[in-house]
Amino acid sequence: MKLKQMAAIIVIAYGVLAVLPMFVGDIPYIMNILIMCLIWAVVASSWDVIMGFAGIFSFGQVAFFVMGAYCSAILAINFHIPPVFTIIIAGFFTAGMGVLVGLPCLKLAGPYVALVTFGVHMALQPLLKGQIGIALGSGGALGLLAIPPISIFGYTFGTDNIVPTFYLILVISMACALTIMAMVKSYWGLAFLALKDSQPFATSLGISAFKYKLMVFAVTSFLTGIIGGVYGHFYGVLSVRMLDLDLFSILMVMILAGGLGHFPGAIIGSFLVVAASELMAPLGVYRAVTMGAIVVVLVLALPDGVMGVFSKRLNNHAQKA
Amino acid sequence: MFNEDTILLLYEITDVIIAGLSNGSVYALMAIGMTLVYGVTKAFNFAYGDFFNMGGYFAWILIVGLGLQFGGYITVLIIVLPLLFLVGYGLEKFMVAPLRKRADWENRVMMLTLGLALFLSNLYMVLFGTKLKSLPPIMDGILEIGQIVFSYQDIMIFVLSLGGILTFGWLLNNTRTGMAVRAVAQNPEGAKIVGINIKRIFASTFAISTVMVGFGGILLSQKLFINPTSGGSIMVKAWVVTAFGGMGSIRGGLYAAFIIGMMEAFVGWIFGMSYTIIALFVLLLATLVIRPQGLMGKGA
Repeated sequence: MKLKQMAAIIVIAYGVLAVLPMFVGDIPYIMNILIMCLIWAVVASSWDVIMGFAGIFSFGQVAFFVMGAYCSAILAINFHIPPVFTIIIAGFFTAGMGVLVGLPCLKLAGPYVALVTFGVHMALQPLLKGQIGIALGSGGALGLLAIPPISIFGYTFGTDNIVPTFYLILVISMACALTIMAMVKSYWGLAFLALKDSQPFATSLGISAFKYKLMVFAVTSFLTGIIGGVYGHFYGVLSVRMLDLDLFSILMVMILAGGLGHFPGAIIGSFLVVAASELMAPLGVYRAVTMGAIVVVLVLALPDGVMGVFSKRLNNHAQKA
Repeated sequence: MFNEDTILLLYEITDVIIAGLSNGSVYALMAIGMTLVYGVTKAFNFAYGDFFNMGGYFAWILIVGLGLQFGGYITVLIIVLPLLFLVGYGLEKFMVAPLRKRADWENRVMMLTLGLALFLSNLYMVLFGTKLKSLPPIMDGILEIGQIVFSYQDIMIFVLSLGGILTFGWLLNNTRTGMAVRAVAQNPEGAKIVGINIKRIFASTFAISTVMVGFGGILLSQKLFINPTSGGSIMVKAWVVTAFGGMGSIRGGLYAAFIIGMMEAFVGWIFGMSYTIIALFVLLLATLVIRPQGLMGKGA
């Protein structure tokens, strides 16, 4: 997909979302859902970059998200650093963790990478719940309950004035999306693709697998960490329940619905899936079962997601013209 | 000679070792199923742990749900194991096999089975509730040798899982199907040329691994309860044992399973059960850094 098309899709998607508060700005429930769309869009697209573009089967994205959220919240609560800075610190912290997790993954084949990163995910919950987490200030099984909201120059962005908060998060989310777009379309993105298609050949052309694979871990976990921090400060509460597989599965559905490796797809996918998930709320306990079934059906029936269908149309159209 | 505290400590350590042995034998069963399915079909099954629970729930339905009286666990095994075989066979045939045409099928299979894992674990939660279910022990009573106490349950678990592994090893080495499976593992193209129905072998292998892990589930759920959401950690455990022992090596898997069973029992005893997964993870990272091919695996 061309850069222009990609940019157009991103701008249209975010544009539609930006208009919505004019109609529903006074319904906090819907505004919450819209903010969820913005936050998951970033997590899903970073995950898509590492999985779809770079072909590294990392299952640690939710873990990075939680790490970012906890890091930012703990710094703000225990050290009284303003959230604007803690979010940035959380980004760098998570990027560091990403590199740390990425290092052992460099030499491993697909399922081993999946295992190591999934192991990070599985080990994070007992770690945060246990003595070590409590010593770090994670609040144990109870979680963190009083995270200060973001405030810039004395103006507080919280659930009370939700419309400005929505626009702030929209700006952050869109900046992340545009960063991803710029990266995917740059020399780096080409290097990721080349390494995914054939690592020996790409290396023979002078692309350092070591450098670029670590880079993709660092960048995706940086963005995820930042948005994780934003999430924590927006909601004001965090708990290790985020590491249950529900969130994991819903993010997976977003990527698959949008199309794995079809970048702006993950953004569209997350908007669609958040909406669909809210519509499925009456299903109650059956919602998670349905989500799992949807993953299976999507993998089998719609391998390239919404964006795959869309770009096929676009290509056919271009050939006819 | 020893004071009383030391003797008590020794008894406790013996108990931990017995627990490690009986857990380890089931891990061996699970790890060999996994090494088999990955070695032969190259499909990574993320729902592996949920088949463990499937075995446990099938047994629970029969024994507790339906109040099965006749034959106890023997009847359970006769009914459940073929059922698990059918589930595994059907899964491979209708879900994994169609994906093999795509270039990136290995990743697709991972996503598919991950979706399946979510589906199954949530389905268990809907059907059976979030409360843990327990199975009655396969055999009551204890065996006392001097001062050391073995429960018959531990002994039966140990004997049955080792019996399962030995039977499986015999089948693999001495039957035509077993040899075909080994041929496919060595070289799928070559196997196809000599007339082996490779699709059938893929599906059967997948089914056998489902049976092995489900059998493990029936055995171990008597001690650990059946937890609908535990599939992920069981899968990670099986995979760590497999990676530690060496991919494709049955003997390596056997050793690794007992080492990890022991390690887990001791870590759980000293630090508490919630630290076992962290210990597993540390062991995994150490293995991958120091000896990526595992204990007995062949070099890449």
